[in-house]
Amino acid sequence: MSGTLINANFVDAVALPRIVWLRPNLIGLSFTLMKLLPARFIIRKALEQGELRPGGLIAETTSGTFGLALAMVARLGGNRLALVSDPAIEPPLRRRLEDLGATVHIVRRPGPTGGFQQARLAVLERILEENPGSYCPRQYSNPHNPGSYAPCAELLAHAAGAIDCLVGSVGSGGSVCGISSYLRLIVPELNVIGVDTHRSVIFGQSDAGSGRLLRGLGNSLMPANVDHTAFDSVHWVGAAEAFRATRRLHRDHALYMGPTSGAAYLVADRWARENPDGLAAVVLPDEGYRYQDTVYDNAWLEEKGVRLDGPDGEPVEWDRPHDGDDPWAFYHWDRQEYGEAMTSPGSLELALR
Amino acid sequence: MTPAALLSHTRGTAAERARPAPAAALFPPPDQPCRAGHGAIQAHHGEILQGIFYSADGAQEHGLVTLPCGLFATRARFRPLRSGPLTVEPRDRARARAAARLTLDALGRTGWGGSIRIEGNVPLQWGCGSSTTDVLSTIRAVADAFGVVLEPEWIARLSVAAETASDSLMYGPERAVLFAQRRGCKLLDLGGPLPAVRVLGFNTQADHGTATLSLPPIPYSVWEIEAFQPLLGLLRRAVERRDAALLGRVATASTVITQPHRPKPDMPRLLRLAREVGAVGTQVAHSGTVAGFLFDPADDPAGRAARARQGLRRLGVQRSWEFSTDLDPKPEPVS
Repeated sequence: MSGTLINANFVDAVALPRIVWLRPNLIGLSFTLMKLLPARFIIRKALEQGELRPGGLIAETTSGTFGLALAMVARLGGNRLALVSDPAIEPPLRRRLEDLGATVHIVRRPGPTGGFQQARLAVLERILEENPGSYCPRQYSNPHNPGSYAPCAELLAHAAGAIDCLVGSVGSGGSVCGISSYLRLIVPELNVIGVDTHRSVIFGQSDAGSGRLLRGLGNSLMPANVDHTAFDSVHWVGAAEAFRATRRLHRDHALYMGPTSGAAYLVADRWARENPDGLAAVVLPDEGYRYQDTVYDNAWLEEKGVRLDGPDGEPVEWDRPHDGDDPWAFYHWDRQEYGEAMTSPGSLELALR
Repeated sequence: MTPAALLSHTRGTAAERARPAPAAALFPPPDQPCRAGHGAIQAHHGEILQGIFYSADGAQEHGLVTLPCGLFATRARFRPLRSGPLTVEPRDRARARAAARLTLDALGRTGWGGSIRIEGNVPLQWGCGSSTTDVLSTIRAVADAFGVVLEPEWIARLSVAAETASDSLMYGPERAVLFAQRRGCKLLDLGGPLPAVRVLGFNTQADHGTATLSLPPIPYSVWEIEAFQPLLGLLRRAVERRDAALLGRVATASTVITQPHRPKPDMPRLLRLAREVGAVGTQVAHSGTVAGFLFDPADDPAGRAARARQGLRRLGVQRSWEFSTDLDPKPEPVS
C-alpha cells in the first residue's frame, strides 16, 4: 500500500484488493485476480508441510481464474504445473497459461457420466498417479482456500473498522466463507450475503437443464469448502441482471470487472440503499478483460437477449430454496446448515403438497 | 513474501532485528563517578492482543500488545561497588540479579558488584509482568547509577537475555507497540498510545496465579495464526482513530482465540456479562489469571462498571479494581 515499498514479485504486488467507495456506505474490494490469494497460500502451505517439493509438479483441473493464479504462483516459485481443461477454454487464456510454462491438457470428450467435469477429474487422477510426488491443490475442499483470505480481512479491518455487511459471489466457498470467518472474530454480528445463480447446486437449486450463462459463480457440484452456516441470506441472480450490473459498475465507477463482480454489486448496492446507516463491503473478484467479447460487447449481449437499458427490478423473496426462475430472488438462509435449509418449513410444505 | 504487504515497510526483517546495536556507544567513561541509581516501571494488566504475527520477510513471530496499568509499579535502587558480590533483595529475584550483571557488562563495568533493592505492588504470577518489572526497574537503576539512560531497544535485549521472555513495558504507555516477547524486539510501532479505556480488572482464579515464564508457547492452528492478521488491522485502526470500541473488539477476539488453549474458568459467562453491561470488550492476561472489562470513557463507564461489579459478585468474583489508561485526563465538564 505504501508507495515506497518494492514487492518481492508481481503476485505479492497485486494479491490484495484496492478498496474503493461505491456509495457513502458501500466499499468495493476490487481485485486484479482474487484467486492469487488462495493459490499463493495453498502452495506456500504445501511446501511448508512437505506435500510439495521445491520444483515439484502441481496438477489441477480448472479452466478458470484459479488456473491462471496457480500458473503465476507456480512460475514465480519454480514449480511445474499441469492443468486439465476442456474444449471450452478460451484460446487467449490457454496461450497465457502456456506462456507461463503450464502444460494444458484438453479433455476432448465428456465422460459417460458427469460430463466434462468427470472426464477432467479422471485425467487429473491419472496425471497424479503417473507423477509420484505431484501435488493437487483441490481448491474446492482445501481448507487453505478459505484460510488464505486473512490478509484481505486485515486490510478491510484497518481501512473500514467494524463493517456491518459482507456481500460476495459464491463459487468455491473460498472468499466469502474465508473473509467472513475472520471478520466475525471482531464483528460476530456481521451480516453475510452470498450471491449464487440459477441452476447452481450450492444453495439448493438443481443443475438440471441448459448450462449457466453466467460463469464464475455457482457450481454443479457442492464444494466442501462452502460453509452454509456462514450465510444470513442468499441471492440468486440471473445472467441479464448480472451483466447489466457489471456494465453499471464500469459506467458509473470506471471499475472494469467481470460479471461475478457485477452480480455481487447488484445485491450489495441494494443492501446499501436499504440500510443507509449500515456499512457494507462487496467482493469484486476479477477484472473485465476476459469478457471483452461478451459482457462488454453490446452485440453479444443483444444476441443473448440482454438489454442494457432494461430494468433491474427488485428481488423476489422465496420462502425456501427451489428451482424457481425469478430473474432475481433471495432467501433468508439464517446461518442454517444445508440440510436444515432444505427441510425448513417452506421446503416441507412443498414436499407435502 | 508477506501476506501483510501493508505492514512490511514498518516491520524489520529478521536480519535487521538480529543486528546488535553498537555496544561502544553505551559505555560511560571509566572515570564517570557513580552513585545510587534508581529505576521505576509501571506494570501492565495482561494484553489487548497476543498471538503470532508475520514480519516483513514472512517469518512468524510470537507477539503481544500489553494494556498499561497505573495501579501496579515496581521501583529498584542500585548501590554500585567497584568489586565484590552483587546482591538482590528480596533474594528470590534471581532474574533481576542476572539482569543487573548483564547491564553492568553492557556498561563496561564487568566485575563490579553492589546491592539491588526491589519494591513494588505488582501481583506475582497474575500475568501483570511482575517479573519483567523487577528486571526492567533493575536495568534502569543500574544504568542510572552511571548516569546512563538506556534506549528501549537496549533494555529489551538485556531483559530477554535475563528472563527468556519479556514485555514491552520499557516503551511506556505513550506508545503502543507490537512486541516480540520471546525475541525482545519491536515488531510494529502502532504510532501512538492505545485509545483510552476505563478498565474493571479482576482475577479469574481468586488470588491465585500461574507460573507464567514456564508456560510453553501456545500451539496455534494455521487458521488461528492467520486470524491474528485482521485483529492487528483493527488494532491499527483503533489506535489511529482513538476508538475504544474497536480496541474492545480486538481484546475480546484475542481472548476468545486463546481460551481453548489456556482456559480461564467461567469465560463464557464473563463474556456474556461484559456484553450485558455494555463493556466494549474483555481482555485477559494470555499467560496469567488476570482479566478486565473495557469501557468507553465517553459512555457511562462508572455506571456500567458498577453493574459489572454486581455481575462479577454473582459469579463469585469478590475483588475487582478500576483504572483508566487515559494519559491526558480531561477536566470534568463544568455543570
